[in-house]
Amino acid sequence: MSTETESSSQFDSLKERWRPRIERFRRGWDRFTQEKMGVLGIIIMVVFVLWALFPDFFAPHSVEWRAYLGTEPGRLTAEQADSLPHPPAFGDPFWAPLGTNYVGQGILSLIVHAADDALYIGFAAGLLSSLVGVPLGLVSGFYGNTWIDETIQRIVDVMYGLPFLPFLIVLVAIRGITTTNIILGIAVTSWLNNCIVIRGETLSLKERSYVESAKVAGASDTRIVFRHIMPNVLPLAFVFLAQDAATAILAQASLAYLGLADFTANSWGLMLQNIKSNGYVFDAWWWLIPPGICIMLIAAAFYFIGFSMEDVTNPQEDS
Amino acid sequence: MTRISARYLGKRLVVSYLTLLVIMSLLFVLIRSMPGSFIGSMITPELDQADIQQLRETWGLNEPIWRQYIDFMLNYQTGDFGRSPTYKAPVWDVIISRLPRTLILFGAAFIVQFIVGPLVGMYLGWWRGTRKDKSIFTSSLAVYSMPAFWLAWLFIWLFNYELGWLPSTYMFTKFAQFDWTVVTIVTDVLRHIALPLISIAFVSWVGAMLVMRPAMNNVTSEDYVFLAQAKGLSERTVMIKHAARNALIPVATQAIVGLAFLLDGSVIIENVFSWPGLGQVIVTSVLSRDYPVSQAAFFMLAVLIIVMRLVTDIAYTYLDPRIKFGGD
Repeated sequence: MSTETESSSQFDSLKERWRPRIERFRRGWDRFTQEKMGVLGIIIMVVFVLWALFPDFFAPHSVEWRAYLGTEPGRLTAEQADSLPHPPAFGDPFWAPLGTNYVGQGILSLIVHAADDALYIGFAAGLLSSLVGVPLGLVSGFYGNTWIDETIQRIVDVMYGLPFLPFLIVLVAIRGITTTNIILGIAVTSWLNNCIVIRGETLSLKERSYVESAKVAGASDTRIVFRHIMPNVLPLAFVFLAQDAATAILAQASLAYLGLADFTANSWGLMLQNIKSNGYVFDAWWWLIPPGICIMLIAAAFYFIGFSMEDVTNPQEDS
Repeated sequence: MTRISARYLGKRLVVSYLTLLVIMSLLFVLIRSMPGSFIGSMITPELDQADIQQLRETWGLNEPIWRQYIDFMLNYQTGDFGRSPTYKAPVWDVIISRLPRTLILFGAAFIVQFIVGPLVGMYLGWWRGTRKDKSIFTSSLAVYSMPAFWLAWLFIWLFNYELGWLPSTYMFTKFAQFDWTVVTIVTDVLRHIALPLISIAFVSWVGAMLVMRPAMNNVTSEDYVFLAQAKGLSERTVMIKHAARNALIPVATQAIVGLAFLLDGSVIIENVFSWPGLGQVIVTSVLSRDYPVSQAAFFMLAVLIIVMRLVTDIAYTYLDPRIKFGGD
């Protein structure tokens, strides 16, 4: 008995503690949903997340499926081989709404099955570059104009001098072409803007009176940075996380175009690379256009959500 | 130059130089960490072990690594970039024959980007929050999200393959039979530059817009804008002459990021259009482990970026008289 009341009172206090946060979140959410752009981003994101979680439900076939293979095992007839890549058509002998590629895989199935790869690359690279950029920006801003700040800023200078994509090619060449290494490479090269903006924000935040009072109250530097300043830069960090995610997805597509993608994975960038290397760029529009649109939509969704967040955290009065 | 002290400029120059040295060291380590070496592409079945040793000797790969590093750092100070094993020519010639082509294409793209971007950003920032702003802003973000090479393919498909209006490869017509007068050369280059230029500019202007829009919105609440409005100046005069001028300052910083964005684009777009520029050289030399050329190409790009950073910092003082460097 006693344990039960204890746990319920614990629960109550937990609820008490979380109520203001939930309230704040709800207010933020209300403001967010006023922006059509952010809602659009969320809708696109939800669709892609569903694709990633339940590909078999949305895709007509698995990745292994080949047109004709079901009816005639073994070699294709010359006529069948000629019809590949197969354009989308009514009365297919098989069910491939967006046509097939040159080996007979359904385009729609490939598109749906590649969603998890894009989301993984986006979120992983975005999170990683935030994990590097935000703390460095915070430290650099908090110790502004000391040797710590100088050192970090010189590192940023050096990294700025290296062009992003060529540098990424070298990194991937050193470490081997796998999705993990591509993500690491993107994270290593894309934390710069993050760091610079967070630094600027921290520089202005640390002059605020509440930081002063925390200092007078004897709070340690670590505590001031992480308890008092960081919560205020987090919304901004989130905006950059979304932008980095979008950049990462586009960078992966560019790498794939140059032939530097993981060929065992299934990604939209790799689909585009396949079109080019097999010479179907101008002959198979049903194969060329969907992957590009998907890359565009997922990157745009990240941008939409990021920039709407900026409006939520930094509301502008409507004129 | 009046607002910049010589001491500040000197300090910046020294720091820039040191940054460049660090970048060079990083390059040396990174490029040599890639597995394989260019010797691999030269080895043919007829060569025996002694010949391979001879090859390594010729290209200086038998030297201890610290020796190679010191040679590399010292040679670059004197502008000696060495010889390229794959191009069979001095690296300097390889780089310098390509650099102008990259500069022409990306200089043009840079100019287009920084005319269109700030103009649209100015317009959107001034009308921030209206439906006009929201719809244009959303669609430009969608444009920003397109993979550049995919867009380039669509343009080639439409303008070259379907309509046959514009060429899609190289900088000149190959084996051209026309008279080589200035006019024909210029029109020929213009026809060849059109598609790559459109492909880059179509995407990259958004970067400049993204910075201009909030900057413009911030200055609209400044007193001097209200004052100008109260004086009865026209909306357009206030927007362009009073507000936009000051909103341009953060855009100048963005120019560096925009330049880096263009250089990334150069790698991809030059590949798509077989544009014989530096971006193409970088990719092929990195992939064929041509150390001398890839180091030099990275080096040139790094110099370009560092110099541009210096220039924008100086441009600041002219845009905003309040900023003063090294005055105290």
